[in-house]
Amino acid sequence: MKDMYPKNGRVILHVDMNSFYASVEMAYDPSLKGKPLAIAGNPEERRGIIVTCSYEARKFGVKTTMPLWEAKKLCPNLIVKKPDFERYRAASMGMFELLNQFSKLVEPVSIDEGYVDITDSHELGSPLEIAEQIQKQLIRQLDLPCSIGIAPNKFLAKMASDMKKPLGITVLRKRDIPTVLWPMEAGEMHGVGKKTAEKLKNIGVHTIADLAKANEIQLKSLLGINGIRLKERANGVDNRLVDPDAISEFKSIGNSTTLPKDISNQQELFKVLDRLAEKVSVRLKRKKVMATTLSITIRYKDRHTITRSKKLLNPVSTQDEILKMAKQIFVSHWTGHPVRLLGITGTDLVENDQAVKQLDLFSYEKDAKKEPLINTVSKLKEKFGAHIIEQASNLSNDKKQQIGTETSFNKDFLQVEKMKKQDD
Amino acid sequence: MRFIIQRDRLVQSVQDVMKAVTSRTTIPILTGIKIVATNEGVTLTGSDSDISIESYIPKEEAGDEIVEIKQTGSIVLQAKFFSEIVKKLPTDFVEMEVQNQLQVVIRSGKSEFNLNGLDPEEYPRLPQVEEENAFEIPTDLLKALVRQTVFAVSTSETRPVLTGVNWKVENGELICIATDSHRLALRKAKIEIETAHNYNVVIPGKSLNELSKILDDNNELVEIVITENQVLFKAKHLLFFSRLLEGNYPDTSRLIPAESKTEVIVNTKDFLHAIDRASLLAREGRNNVVRLATLESKGIEISSNTPEIGKVIEELVAQSIDGEELKISFSAKYVMDALKTLEGHEIKISFTGAMRPFLIRPLNDDSLLQLILPVRTY
Repeated sequence: MKDMYPKNGRVILHVDMNSFYASVEMAYDPSLKGKPLAIAGNPEERRGIIVTCSYEARKFGVKTTMPLWEAKKLCPNLIVKKPDFERYRAASMGMFELLNQFSKLVEPVSIDEGYVDITDSHELGSPLEIAEQIQKQLIRQLDLPCSIGIAPNKFLAKMASDMKKPLGITVLRKRDIPTVLWPMEAGEMHGVGKKTAEKLKNIGVHTIADLAKANEIQLKSLLGINGIRLKERANGVDNRLVDPDAISEFKSIGNSTTLPKDISNQQELFKVLDRLAEKVSVRLKRKKVMATTLSITIRYKDRHTITRSKKLLNPVSTQDEILKMAKQIFVSHWTGHPVRLLGITGTDLVENDQAVKQLDLFSYEKDAKKEPLINTVSKLKEKFGAHIIEQASNLSNDKKQQIGTETSFNKDFLQVEKMKKQDD
Repeated sequence: MRFIIQRDRLVQSVQDVMKAVTSRTTIPILTGIKIVATNEGVTLTGSDSDISIESYIPKEEAGDEIVEIKQTGSIVLQAKFFSEIVKKLPTDFVEMEVQNQLQVVIRSGKSEFNLNGLDPEEYPRLPQVEEENAFEIPTDLLKALVRQTVFAVSTSETRPVLTGVNWKVENGELICIATDSHRLALRKAKIEIETAHNYNVVIPGKSLNELSKILDDNNELVEIVITENQVLFKAKHLLFFSRLLEGNYPDTSRLIPAESKTEVIVNTKDFLHAIDRASLLAREGRNNVVRLATLESKGIEISSNTPEIGKVIEELVAQSIDGEELKISFSAKYVMDALKTLEGHEIKISFTGAMRPFLIRPLNDDSLLQLILPVRTY
């Protein structure tokens, strides 16, 4: 079977679940199958924005991020369900577990997609056979459809998985690039958003072929280093490895929520901040990090959005500390106008064991009192290893966890899964 | 008003009073400099209502004529324009004349400026300060007192009173204290004061910084008058008024540890340079933290470790180490700030534990003390 694999180079799969949330709901309740189904933020409230929808609903023109009322207009028989993240998380875990049986090199990208490096999996079959097996087993075991791209690198695999949906398997070889990839519009390329596509149009780059042949100096001045990278990708070059640990390289932790109605009462807004602070705190603790910078996002009724941040003297991770700082930043920047959305984000994250706290002349006694205890703990750690003892407040209560909040999805649950694996 | 003045002296005075002028003021006339010509000389005033500075230029000094007064009078000129104009005038003498009420002509050589002035009657009066209970200290000592304390004031408005330096006069001694709650600087000095009057006031750190910039380095005496809400510094040809901060300054005396568990005596410069080197890597990391550990062999180890960048370890021979062994982490910046204020060759560092404040003092000198709170590591 080895001759089906390249001598040099790699074989990468990109597995992309088809309308994941909707498919999970259908797997739980088969009576939904074949019907137009949409998952929306919260059907009764304004935050009812389509998170995802089934292919049957798409036929009516229903799209992700569309407001619920608009979707109902297009498709009056649309079945709307609230997201059940607990469910999706379980399904996602099942899916990654299955992928792990084909290779140890599985890199989750989000709840419903991931890369699998099967270069060394030739004993299990040819790349195409492996992809077929994955697709079949996902259907048989989890009742979930997916599309798979097979290519020599991540970028091409991602592009390939997008080409046939649902339930597609697409092979994209380097030699297919001029015929398959190049005729596509630059805006369809993974990594090219709306704004970038517009910028590219301004310099006469319309198709991926144009991009592949574009002037590097011009690209660099237009898009910076990313311009060069995009040109490389357009030529099928992408040297990124499939990294199972990539998920843990996070830079910020934040949560935001759209309010059920516009609010201008400070006390109510503080309550919202409190809930957000709790969520951010739980996530920080789960990742065993603290935030050195805190920022607040405020979106007003007129959709005008501001983000203001503050560098902290001491990194924070507890709900109280986060709330206290968040309130401070909020109060000094809030105009008093009705607020539509609030968010709290912690950045400049430091690992707990790297974090330090500058003591305060008027309150150091509180910390100093714990000194004998801390000394004992550090002696224990020296003797028995760093994990022998931990502060209870640093442990997050996983049972309570949801994998997402109303408006922000996060990858933390993958972290949890990985930690469990390490414990096994 | 009309006079002819030496340009250098005018430039110097304008620069001094400019220290009090800000463009961000709610009282429009305070964006100007007030100029008053009397038969004795010319007085310039600048103010932001917190600080007011008056600079006097006498008609003559040591037989040298500085100003020739042709006609007395007064005017207020936009500080921004006036200060730039006088700096760039072409010759050594400047003639200033008020025409048609508020029109000012500034002549120097063949250059002539016409500037719109403001009504001097609208300029606020400077605070009236009763000059009882004044005391005097030499300029260089005053500047040292400021330099050794003011860096430690708080820059955050969460506790406004900490943005000032606490000045206490007790039993013929002046004690200056500043703290931002993470470090504290304390300097004492004997003063000559006639009455047995005690003071306890808080002077804004900004005022002391500006004062220090204006004062020359000499040992002429500065007279200091403290009232309920103002402090006045009187130097030669200079009056410097500052508002005092309201609110009680926290009692810090009980916060300064009297005993210690570990005492290290070390060369000031060696210690400063070792911390400076260790902070090269710490600076890139967070909080600028370096670690100090006592060694068994009469030495201390200064180290810093930022996993992404690298680590540094340096051993330093101490003159002496007494007491318990110790490992402590602190902000390199705070310690360097403190060390830069110490003049002595050797310093004594007194620790009372890894989570408690430590003191840095010049050896055999009780007049200056720098206290620093360590950082807690997890």
